[in-house]
Amino acid sequence: MLVLTRKLNQSIFIGDSIEVVVLEVRGDQVRLGIKAPRDVVVHRKEVFEQIQAENESASGASPSDLPE
Amino acid sequence: MTPTSTSISTTRFGELEISPEAIIKFPEGMIGFENSLEYTLVPHSEESPFVWLQSVRQPDLAFLLMNPEDVVPDYAPTISGHEAEQLGLSEETPRLVYTVVTIPPGKPEDMTINLAGPLVINAEARTGRQIVLDTRSYPVRHRVHEKHPERKAA
Repeated sequence: MLVLTRKLNQSIFIGDSIEVVVLEVRGDQVRLGIKAPRDVVVHRKEVFEQIQAENESASGASPSDLPE
Repeated sequence: MTPTSTSISTTRFGELEISPEAIIKFPEGMIGFENSLEYTLVPHSEESPFVWLQSVRQPDLAFLLMNPEDVVPDYAPTISGHEAEQLGLSEETPRLVYTVVTIPPGKPEDMTINLAGPLVINAEARTGRQIVLDTRSYPVRHRVHEKHPERKAA
């Protein structure tokens, strides 16, 4: 993993089209701004993991689980 | 087997004879299930609000789905430009929106639908995708039945 130190309002580029800016640092929270082309989808990792976990629980269902 | 239909094996429904038009492609799979890219819809029963999304290649993989509007009438997930583009959706394209149903073991009355990860299907091109919404506005577990015992179906 590449590790970089940035200060407030500094940014990094990922490739030549994605820019991540540090907008605010408050205690243990960091607000990031992301400038990316519209074909790049940006999500919080937790949301993905939650949906994945929910899909896993849901995939065990069988027709007999449903009431008539 | 006629050239117009395919037979698929399923754990839940036995052998199914399906036409090629009944196959829905999910180019990215379901989230966490990226190996299964083709599905077909199997109605749970006549007049049931439930539909099964059965994997074409993986007999034991199926998801129970429900039309979210039956539970949340004003549910209107925003489909991003990128996602609409991938699905080939324009304003007028007929589409199906489903949510995945989770049933806690032995407690069908506590079933929930996942409003954060709905499936959007381009009904014309027969391609689908599970889209990711903001869980601050859309819960992963939204109860289908209200919790009051007196409201339960008799």
